[in-house]
Amino acid sequence: MIDKNYFWLVVFGLAAGTLSIRGSIIMLSSCVIIPNRLKELFSFIPAAVLPALIAPMVFFHQGHVNWLLGKERFFVLILATLVCLWSRSMLLTIGFGLTLLFTLTHY
Amino acid sequence: MLPITTGIVPFGAVMGTVCANAQLSLFQSVAMNFMVFAGASQLAAVDLMGQGTAVLVVLLTGFIINARFILYSAAMSPVVQNSHWLTKLASAYLLTDQNYAVMSAHQERLKSNNEKVAFYFGASVCMVLAWQSSVVAGFVFGNFAPADWALDYAVPLSFVALVVPTFKSYKYILVAAFSSVASVMLSGLPYKLGLIVTALLAIGFGAWLSRRKAVTT
Repeated sequence: MIDKNYFWLVVFGLAAGTLSIRGSIIMLSSCVIIPNRLKELFSFIPAAVLPALIAPMVFFHQGHVNWLLGKERFFVLILATLVCLWSRSMLLTIGFGLTLLFTLTHY
Repeated sequence: MLPITTGIVPFGAVMGTVCANAQLSLFQSVAMNFMVFAGASQLAAVDLMGQGTAVLVVLLTGFIINARFILYSAAMSPVVQNSHWLTKLASAYLLTDQNYAVMSAHQERLKSNNEKVAFYFGASVCMVLAWQSSVVAGFVFGNFAPADWALDYAVPLSFVALVVPTFKSYKYILVAAFSSVASVMLSGLPYKLGLIVTALLAIGFGAWLSRRKAVTT
């Protein structure tokens, strides 16, 4: 059970911080000029952060498929990434990944 | 809107289920959704809070996860440049991965800024409705799909579909590969600092890659 005060402290902090991050450039753009070098640095953020969320979540999952050493989720994710690189479609990536995982774990 | 909502619905359902499992009330879950409105950071925060992680670490982890909104904010700023500050604030609050993806996909077709703003708010309404209702559905029904469908796997898959379109050159793929390996290696760091450290290292790696390129060309 998560303590109420602890919960609200985190939620208020997260809400205020997230809105500031979202508003940062939108609100500042009329007063300051963002150098191109910094913009390039910003463009690396998704590639730096999202894989760090995905990789441990998938890699440490205890799976069931013996011939993949229980790492079927990791295996499917790599194939799904290739499908995504090729198709650039979220629908196809999710559909492919879920179907392949279901097939691997059931047959 | 179909491609977006297909990513959002399983994600929202997982979010709702996680909130219910963490014994948060429906009010707490919905309030968090409206106030923070950033699924990936919420998911991480609920997980960390369940383990009693220090407030500062939970917040820093959330901010690192949401740091990508700086990029989206920069992309959105020319569109709302001349709008009222309330429009700016609303568009900032509504910034999400999906909106950013949709906006960049339709950028060419929308001519004036007014058209873009209207399109953006329309897309956002769809997003908010799909997100909130799927979180509530996930909360109420627990897992409304059979557990062996492994719908929770849609979360990492949808993250893949979010990050891949931001790969503008091989440098981004190298940064993503670096981040994956480092996050697995650093996952044992104390105080759940693995994600924060990995993200900072990976951004530094990206900066180093692009600097070297600038020198050689």
